[in-house]
Amino acid sequence: MHEVSVADSLLKIAVDECRRSGYARINNVRVSIGKASGVMPEALLFAFDALKADTIASGAALTIEEVPVAGHCSACNSDFTTDESFVLCCPMCGSSSYSIHAGRELDIKDMEVD
Amino acid sequence: MKLKVASKILDANDRIAQDNRRIFSDAGVFVINLMSSPGAGKTSLLEKTIAGLKKSLDIGVIEGDITGTDDAERINRLGVPVVQINTGGACHLDANMINVVLPDLPLDELDLLVIENVGNLVCPAEFKVGEDVKIMILSIAEGHDKPLKYPLMFQESTALIINKIDLRPFLDVDVDKIRKDALSLNPSIKIFELSCKTGEGVDQWIAWLQTLNS
Repeated sequence: MHEVSVADSLLKIAVDECRRSGYARINNVRVSIGKASGVMPEALLFAFDALKADTIASGAALTIEEVPVAGHCSACNSDFTTDESFVLCCPMCGSSSYSIHAGRELDIKDMEVD
Repeated sequence: MKLKVASKILDANDRIAQDNRRIFSDAGVFVINLMSSPGAGKTSLLEKTIAGLKKSLDIGVIEGDITGTDDAERINRLGVPVVQINTGGACHLDANMINVVLPDLPLDELDLLVIENVGNLVCPAEFKVGEDVKIMILSIAEGHDKPLKYPLMFQESTALIINKIDLRPFLDVDVDKIRKDALSLNPSIKIFELSCKTGEGVDQWIAWLQTLNS
């Protein structure tokens, strides 16, 4: 994926939000990244650390919470979560009558500011 | 001090994609984001589609390439409005690239706009541009292992066109496996097998496209 664009975008949102709320420094940013989002956490951390220099987030840590892929199968009527990034069939019954409702997240949750 | 943010990281792109969507819907134009690997046959499929639909629909095209105007020239020869975007290195189109060229198209006169994305089986699937549907092409020369290797694009697409089926006698490719794996990833995906070279199967694709647009 485009971890550098994602890191750039998340820094912009964090810096804008911090300033708008009247604070001067970001200490931590917490994000949730779905396992099927295509973003590699290590690459995102690397890009975030490279881009944060010379911003009010220069001392900020990035906390990444990975969100597993989750779905519902209408054949066996079960809710499931899986460690896989991509689902090929319902992990409970093998049917293809499933829908996915989590795992593509790319969200900023909150941040610590001074 | 803890600050709640609760914002989507790619919100900037998604917001522009929504603006594009509103512009398209106000103009009454149906929009397809056409994606595939380089060389799978996006422009050839467009040429066939335009030839088959030109009498019944007013079609416009946005061509996305890293560089060059070959594709726009091919479409221009068919007498439909076309705009070329050169991304200058970027491997996909994003919502803003589309937004800035919209004034160059007579949207009010169009029924269908096809956005031909940059040839790439990964990144175009990750960025919304304001389309109604994403449609992808896989040519059989690329091999039957592609759905499971590049799952996101198959999951995001409303239809899969399996192109170059005239090459079947020359290739060790299992087209049924492409179908099976694509359907496992996306049980509702609509699949067409066709050849832009011989024209086989093109009619069924065009007939379906007309139902989508009506």
